[in-house]
Amino acid sequence: MRMMTLKQALATGTLLAVAGLGAPLLAATQEVTLDLVEPITDYKLYVSDRTAQLVEDTGALVAAIHAGDLEKAKALYAPTRTSYEEIEPIAELFADLDASIDARADDYETAEKDPAFTGFHRIEYGLWVEKDTAAIAGYADRLMADVKDLDQRIAALTFPPETVVGGAAALMEEVAASKVSGEEDRYSRTDLWDFQANTDGAKKVFELVRPLIEPTDPAFVSTVQSNFDDVDQTLAHYRTANGFEDYEELSDQDRTLLSARVNTLAEDLSTLRGKLGLD
Amino acid sequence: MTGKDAPSAPEVSEARARASGGSGGDGGGLRAEASRGPRLGRRHVLVGLAGGGLALGCPMGAGAAQAPQSNPATDAPDGTGRGASRQPFHGLHQSGIVTPRPASGLMVAFDVVATSPADLETLLRRLTERIAFLTTGGPVETRDPRLPPVDSGLLGPVVAPDDLTVTVSLGASLFENRPWLGGLAPRRLTRMEAFPNDALEAGLCHGDLALQFCANLQDTNIHALRDILKSMPEFLVPRWMQEGSVPVVAHAPGAPKESARNFLGFRDGSANPDAGDEALMDRVVWVGEGAGEPGWATGGSYQAVRIIRNFVERWDRTPLREQQRIFGRQKDSGAPLDGRTEADLPDYAADPEGAVTPLASHIRRANPRTAEAARHLILRRPFNYSNGVTRSGQLDQGLLFIAYQADLEAGFISVQRALDGEPLEEYIKPVGGGYFYVLPGVRDSGDWLGRSLIDAVKQSQAQPSPTPGSHTQEG
Repeated sequence: MRMMTLKQALATGTLLAVAGLGAPLLAATQEVTLDLVEPITDYKLYVSDRTAQLVEDTGALVAAIHAGDLEKAKALYAPTRTSYEEIEPIAELFADLDASIDARADDYETAEKDPAFTGFHRIEYGLWVEKDTAAIAGYADRLMADVKDLDQRIAALTFPPETVVGGAAALMEEVAASKVSGEEDRYSRTDLWDFQANTDGAKKVFELVRPLIEPTDPAFVSTVQSNFDDVDQTLAHYRTANGFEDYEELSDQDRTLLSARVNTLAEDLSTLRGKLGLD
Repeated sequence: MTGKDAPSAPEVSEARARASGGSGGDGGGLRAEASRGPRLGRRHVLVGLAGGGLALGCPMGAGAAQAPQSNPATDAPDGTGRGASRQPFHGLHQSGIVTPRPASGLMVAFDVVATSPADLETLLRRLTERIAFLTTGGPVETRDPRLPPVDSGLLGPVVAPDDLTVTVSLGASLFENRPWLGGLAPRRLTRMEAFPNDALEAGLCHGDLALQFCANLQDTNIHALRDILKSMPEFLVPRWMQEGSVPVVAHAPGAPKESARNFLGFRDGSANPDAGDEALMDRVVWVGEGAGEPGWATGGSYQAVRIIRNFVERWDRTPLREQQRIFGRQKDSGAPLDGRTEADLPDYAADPEGAVTPLASHIRRANPRTAEAARHLILRRPFNYSNGVTRSGQLDQGLLFIAYQADLEAGFISVQRALDGEPLEEYIKPVGGGYFYVLPGVRDSGDWLGRSLIDAVKQSQAQPSPTPGSHTQEG
């Protein structure tokens, strides 16, 4: 666990805005929302810790690129992404930044050739395919600016409870849609890093709201916990001294197992908002 | 970490709005409540015979109203099917094989995550429950709108059965990778191997379990697939899927029914064995007792699935006479080259050199009409598919070939071997599919899919004596 960098704004900020809720549900929702004050506060601390880490790690990655140190930049790529992937549902609230930081070549008509293709995956393409740090120096600077911008915007963000709680399912959807298939980090094959980070991010949300659900629905809690455990244990087979093996090492059997667990988690976690009375 | 810096929450009343969702892993399972269905349409009574006369209470005399040469498995759907029309779910055999072929088909194969007999039993029981509901129809379960809806809503608040059938089959890999199923695999169930003209794509082949969905409307199949996926994500991971269709042909009363055309423009299924002939189906399609198969498999059938791409542009640039010589049939009528109607039988004895019907033509290779050939009969129940365009800018179209037989080796594999090297190969390219074993039917509401298999597993586990190993396959 890294030291937390607490932000001034956080200590004093009001965290919740109960807005946009349908009138008939208002009374009930308000009560539940009060229950959520503590988990959401904790989650905001977690997110601010992750974004601070992202700024720091991105700085090191960008420095390696400017120094022309290809191998070091390659080694820093996957770990730098980790903190972004853990809080992806929050980052995605800023669609412009999410696109510029984390879009994939598929998102553009001319794929890698598209000048609008920037961010982590453009840098990944430069490091693994073009093998040319000089060619991506501009993209590195852009990423640094985007990440700092993201950090500032998140610090000023009022966290909508339904986004925080819904984020657990959103992260598993993300894994189900692109991490299981190995489409995310196609040039570096570091997909398993993202896979673990998305799962950790979802687990964090689940753990924070777990006490609110456990008394009334212990079966649900234990099912979800056991599926998270299975994912962690399966990914653990692919851990190396400093991270994860190449995605291609993932056996078909493990991929199938992970798929099933992730889809089941996505299915179960999709009820989390409703279970907490959030619309 | 603690929320020390958080504003302290005021006291909260005991009454909390708790969403009443199903518990985890339940997937919102819905009891298959048999709602009182609408009265059966006339068409249903007529075709009911093909379904083995199951639970329809239709008089046998109704068969007299059937047109001659009718073959439920390959006749073109006549478009009179209505959403309220049902196919039986309970019976000795699963529906979707000798039941009439509707306009829409969908084949999907899965990898199964089941590490114990209990897992497999849960999966099969849940499949039974969902298929029973989906083929019967009825109102969907509703719940607190703050939760995701139980049902996709594709068919609205009341699911219409729409002649839906969902046919469950198992692949060789399910048995191979699970020691506790050792010795219970159907004797002829193998992993599909490539024939000389095949160009199999790994991502379009094989599977632990397959589901064949058939209904009048494509939406009905898709709704059923989504229901099943949502109900059991912990067990089923889709591996490949292929949708298909059959052209609907209005059928004039009294006129002989016609076989539907494939995407090469030829009638497909002219020489199919009559799916309405129960004795014939018992011989050709269904695995009976004494067939040398494991006891649990009685009432099942081997299913051969092939995704066969057709090079349609090239085919359409081939002279008509050559097309007809390649198939051995007349394109317009479907008649053999020496006949007048589709129902006419070719007289190969009168044409030993293949002057009229070439020896290498598709129909003559597939079924030379000899006494020996009768051993190799299969029931074909295919769908046409259209998947957009290839990178070459060609149409990606073809045949979702599905065939049923009591013996895979004597059936599809032998027929395909006889076809190897046929001139038609220049225009077709099999790219996927697999071999599966269709589970026996669900007898009644107390029964479930695969019960006989799970019972056999339990028996073998109760007896610690070593069971004989898996059967060896002769080539």
